[in-house]
Amino acid sequence: MTSPEPTSGGAAERLAAACFLLATAAAIGLAVVYWRGGQTQLEGIMLAVALGGIGMGIVVVAKAFLPDEEATEAREPLASPEAEVAKLTADLESGEAPVARRRVLVASLGAALTALGASLLFPIRSLGPRPGRGLKTTPYEGGRKRVVRADGTPVRPADLPEDGVITVWPEGHTDAADAPTLLIHVRPNQGFRPRPGREGWTIGNIVAYSKICTHVGCPVGLYQAAEGLLLCPCHQSTFNVLEGARPIFGPAARSLPQLPLALDAAGYIVATGDFSDPVGPGFWDRER
Amino acid sequence: MSDRRPGLRRRDVLAVGLVLATALVITSLVISRRPAAAGADQQARGRELYLTGCVSCHGVKGEGVVGPDGRRRGPSLQTSGEAGAYYYLSTGRMPLGSSDEQPRRKKRAYEGADLDALVAYVASLGTGPKAPIVHLAGADLAKGGELYRANCQACHSASGSGGALSYGRAAPSLHSAQPREIAAAMRAGPGQMPVFSSREIGGRDLDAVVRYVQYLRTPRDPGGLPIGRIGPIPEGFVAWSIGMVALLAIVAWIGTRMPIRREVEVPDQPGEGSP
Amino acid sequence: MSRTTRARRAKREPVGRWIDDRLGVAKLARTALNKVFPDHWSFMIGELGLYSFVILVLTGAYLTFFFRASTTEVTYAGSYDALRGVRMTEAYRSALDISFDVRAGLLMRQIHHWAALLFLASIVVHLGRVFFTGAFRRPREINWMVGVTLLILAIFNGFAGYSLLDDQLSGTGLRIAYSIALSIPVAGTWITSLLFGGEFPGPDIINRLYVIHILIIPAIITVLLTVHLAIVVRHKHTQFPGPGRREDNVVGERMWPTYAAKATGLFFLTAAVVCFLGGVFQINPIWIYGPFDAAQVSSASQPDWYMGWLDGALRIMPGWEIRAFGFEIPNPFFPGVLLAGLTFGLLFAWPFLEARVTGDHGEHHIDDRPRQRPVRTALGVATIAFYVILFLGAGADVLSTTFGLSVNSVLWTFRFAVFVAPVVAGSVTYRLCRELCRRDGLPMASKVSWGEIPSRLLGRHRPPDASPHPAEPDEPMPTHDELV
Repeated sequence: MTSPEPTSGGAAERLAAACFLLATAAAIGLAVVYWRGGQTQLEGIMLAVALGGIGMGIVVVAKAFLPDEEATEAREPLASPEAEVAKLTADLESGEAPVARRRVLVASLGAALTALGASLLFPIRSLGPRPGRGLKTTPYEGGRKRVVRADGTPVRPADLPEDGVITVWPEGHTDAADAPTLLIHVRPNQGFRPRPGREGWTIGNIVAYSKICTHVGCPVGLYQAAEGLLLCPCHQSTFNVLEGARPIFGPAARSLPQLPLALDAAGYIVATGDFSDPVGPGFWDRER
Repeated sequence: MSDRRPGLRRRDVLAVGLVLATALVITSLVISRRPAAAGADQQARGRELYLTGCVSCHGVKGEGVVGPDGRRRGPSLQTSGEAGAYYYLSTGRMPLGSSDEQPRRKKRAYEGADLDALVAYVASLGTGPKAPIVHLAGADLAKGGELYRANCQACHSASGSGGALSYGRAAPSLHSAQPREIAAAMRAGPGQMPVFSSREIGGRDLDAVVRYVQYLRTPRDPGGLPIGRIGPIPEGFVAWSIGMVALLAIVAWIGTRMPIRREVEVPDQPGEGSP
Repeated sequence: MSRTTRARRAKREPVGRWIDDRLGVAKLARTALNKVFPDHWSFMIGELGLYSFVILVLTGAYLTFFFRASTTEVTYAGSYDALRGVRMTEAYRSALDISFDVRAGLLMRQIHHWAALLFLASIVVHLGRVFFTGAFRRPREINWMVGVTLLILAIFNGFAGYSLLDDQLSGTGLRIAYSIALSIPVAGTWITSLLFGGEFPGPDIINRLYVIHILIIPAIITVLLTVHLAIVVRHKHTQFPGPGRREDNVVGERMWPTYAAKATGLFFLTAAVVCFLGGVFQINPIWIYGPFDAAQVSSASQPDWYMGWLDGALRIMPGWEIRAFGFEIPNPFFPGVLLAGLTFGLLFAWPFLEARVTGDHGEHHIDDRPRQRPVRTALGVATIAFYVILFLGAGADVLSTTFGLSVNSVLWTFRFAVFVAPVVAGSVTYRLCRELCRRDGLPMASKVSWGEIPSRLLGRHRPPDASPHPAEPDEPMPTHDELV
């Protein structure tokens, strides 16, 4: 340990001063960079150097020049002495007792506070509508609707080559989050087997399923044309398009709902009704 | 091309067909910019290359070959057309060393005139989509981005870095794809990829998508090092391996006495505390 | 030295005197300045969290001046040409403007995001330090619970923050969160309808999340942080065993001046690291992700790391759900709600569970060395292994792309690893702890037999004799084991 000698700051003093000067330079540099139009990387580095210089300088000063003595502090017991607790209890009771004896007062005040609390809960109801049938239906509901692309144009079967897939919506509802539908044209030799009762839901080999995953609602956007599989990129649920979009891997437990298709007089594809099941993730009373 | 409507007479059909055929020939001549005589040479060269390099798996007429063990050695090429042939040959995915190998991007086996000849020959084996010529100049980058996000990013990821499909399949990274390869792949739908026909994504839109995919090779990275541009996984890795390690190192440095030799003692200090 | 000091004191006195005349805080201030901080670097990890929070508030306040939490549709006309002319919400456009057209805006945004990742990382490391050293034991159970609450709030606010931008990735995350909430039995449909203002995406969610993100949760975090620190001051720090260190004292460095200087230095250095990351490493490139569209998704969609374990749990969960009498408990309920509930429930309850099992209800101010508590340490490591596997599960697709594996095989591996890895990690840790203790000749914690644990947890345990169990480090016992 050296003797106290304020003038010979030595290496630590030089180091700390260098840190502070570097920080000064970087801060000026930051201002200049900003003034000249800004550049994110330079700004970040200048800022880091300025802050880091100040921080490191301070720590060097603390380590080299500030007292380093070890201090000991007593730790008093946390719990209050019995007498203190007794006094507090007595003080509290002095206020409680006169009221507590009058049962009617206590009961009526309790009733008032409970009623107030309950009535204050009601504005929460304004936050959103009652969850109704909306979760179980989509804009396809209620009769034949043309399916359209994102730009609103209707689709003819010939637009979709074999192994082709496009995303469609019910006409007029291209912004509906529960309505995105995949039109998929499977190859004739791919072995597509419609579900019993849904033999007439396809047009040739064009089949339509909801694009919303039955797990947690991500768009099931990855179509593996060679194998006829749909994969959800969020949690890897995999659906077999050739077998009614049955889940074959991953956390999804239900098939993708199918959309019944037909052609209208002008040769465009229409949906003849809503999906076979409620679209998207499950909920408590989905089947009710 | 020609609808067989009852009211249409046979001669009309012939006439229309002749006009269309002439137009096609002229167009193809203009596009290939080669004298007509070269067409025959090219055909012969293509056939020669096909019969040496492709025939063992795809058959003489491109009908595909099933081996003696009943396993398919190579699929039919009769629907792959110019687009499929161009995609597979120009990205080096074909030919394969053996029929068990997975097609991957590698060095091209055919270059220049040979490539053109072989592509043209395979295209002549059946009916398949053309490999479109892409015009990047003036293509709408933002429109391409919209189409890319709607049709491509699900498999190839928003950054074009590719992604996993199920059961060991993968959508390749697009960062080394050349413009015409991208266009050909969209028309042909190679492997697991769906087909995007010209009715769905027409010429200008196709150019736009290709331009956006090209842009994704070196997009603007105003934020600094891109660390993959695929979001939270590499970001979390950097946060822990660089950020948290640095912070803990700083804390360890501050929290341990010593590194710096004490220069000045405080005068009224009774003595060093720790033994 | 003394002359300059006196000169400074003369200058300073009037201000200090003026304040003290009005507030009378000299004594309090002196007590504060004399507070003793134990001398171990690991006690400063919590400060990293505090400083990250300060940086989050500062950068966040700056960002609020430019961000607009509105879902009104607009057409982009800013300086990022690859999106010009694209329809998007005002929220997303303002985030783009911050990134491209507000000078220093992108730096602030990136610092904010990196600071959030490090805020959470600091909290988790700090929690690990407190857990493995037993610093949560009486009298610190309340502060442990305050800390766990802060962790939950921090996770939630991080999620709320990155969900505001309305880019494709955040919208996908929001949709998953919606579906998890929807899966709650009986109340799910109501909860989501009230929270989102209707069916997903709902008209109000961005605006509501904004208020939650910039006002409600930060306010609660600020209050709880204050409580957290006040309780630390009230309790005084724990300390590691060492010469002169007893249960009834604290040995270390006084707050003033050395520790204060070091802490100030640490604040600046923390800020430096975060600013460096913010300037050099691009984070959350929303312009690549594009505006949210309910029909679009990108492969490799992941949440930020502190939500990764939940996403991983969703991924590796097999496709099971419960359906009966027309009602159902959907699949995401189990990994998304039940697992999260169990995680935080067990975290809250840990100090009490441990005290019940060990029967040790006494006050502790001397920290354990982790090796001396082999069972607690092993359980802690096993828990970390469990969540690390879940976290890796969230990156299953990225892992399989990177290493050329089948994503299905990777997920199947994780489905088993999530049970095997904790057991392996825990038993290796346990053996290691015992080995280290034996090498160092340290005593180990007393034993509790596995069979007694249920009755101890239920509080029906009657110790056969009052004397504490002696340490038995060497005995290989198949039916008995050490617990905590």
